[in-house]
Amino acid sequence: MTTLDQKPARLEGRKDPWSQLLEKVGKHQDRQAYHALFEHFGPQIKYYAMANGMASHAEELVQEVFVSIWRRSCLYDWRKAAASTWIFTIARNQRIDMLRKMKRLSVEMPVETEDLWQIPGENEDEPVTSLHRLMSERRIRESLSHLPEEQITVIAKVYMENKSHQMVADELNIPLGTVKSRVRLALNKLKVILQDQNV
Amino acid sequence: MTRHHPDSLTLMEYSAGNLTEPHALCIRLHLDKCPHCQSRVDTLDSLGAVMMENQPKADVSESMFDSILARIDSDSDENEVMARVSVKTSPLQKLLGDDLNSLPWKRQLGDVSVLDISERFPGQHEQVVLQKLAAGGKAPIHTHKGEETTIVLQGAFADQKGVFNQWDFVVLNEQDEHKPVAVGCEDCITLSVLSAPVKLTGTFTRLLNPFIR
Repeated sequence: MTTLDQKPARLEGRKDPWSQLLEKVGKHQDRQAYHALFEHFGPQIKYYAMANGMASHAEELVQEVFVSIWRRSCLYDWRKAAASTWIFTIARNQRIDMLRKMKRLSVEMPVETEDLWQIPGENEDEPVTSLHRLMSERRIRESLSHLPEEQITVIAKVYMENKSHQMVADELNIPLGTVKSRVRLALNKLKVILQDQNV
Repeated sequence: MTRHHPDSLTLMEYSAGNLTEPHALCIRLHLDKCPHCQSRVDTLDSLGAVMMENQPKADVSESMFDSILARIDSDSDENEVMARVSVKTSPLQKLLGDDLNSLPWKRQLGDVSVLDISERFPGQHEQVVLQKLAAGGKAPIHTHKGEETTIVLQGAFADQKGVFNQWDFVVLNEQDEHKPVAVGCEDCITLSVLSAPVKLTGTFTRLLNPFIR
């Protein structure tokens, strides 16, 4: 692990304002806090839906995500994920769910989206606190600002437009190997690759 | 070739929600038992959050918020979410029940049995197959066509590259010729996902890796 991960909790483990708001929703069904989260994350989620080709269902996705946030907020644990990470995973899962529902005619799948893609903090076996997780977002925000545009573009297409590496290569008209090496370089900076080497 | 753990690029596609359900299942089963890879996914989920934050925003209306409030006010299944989370069964159990050994296995060559579970994933074009290599059993030497993602569900197998234990993750392709042997005293059971649809050649039904093709 990096030295950053070893910084004491009192320095790095502070709750960000969005996580505080989400906690208020979870503990007290605080509608003012819920509204503040809607104003901040609603436009992000709507853009996410538009970027990945669900423009005609964008508002529906925002609604589904927010209903899900309300229902699950009692399970939210700021020690396991920042609010924005937690909300991202809910948006991702709701998108997958909506696509599944649209594709499926009448057949039921034995395995649900949540069985395959987990929301952080909803697995009892997880260790209670991982300092590493609290660090992640701040470190990523910081590292991303130093990445070359071409690397960010590729990552944005994967996360926001939900394109496979091959689709990104086809769209940018560059070899698949180039896409992969851009992603690897970026993940290296973000310390995900460094973690590979510890395997 | 990927052995033992999924690589970062695959984990990123998982975190972005871009993998098919059978592939996501292989990753998820591995993550449940590998805190190291889980922590890489946590980092990648945060990357997703930061990417979403850095993108342009699209306006949402107050009336949308009002309809959300109306939904939660009429909500009767709040408790359902809690109940579902507290009695969570593993995806494997949901899919295959409690006893892998008592599934309706079809004996193939020698020590190898298979069970095709592709129909459990409706709307997918990949073939999803369980394979069982009897304890101490050997599979004939073979290579792989296309790419196959495999996770070990029970027991362990070994080939010239190493030993693969329960919850190890393996990706093999045409360059990987091997001759797996089930090690330990249990039958070795794996779940494999084939990236390409299966081609049948002549009268032979193609058998699947990691044991045999």
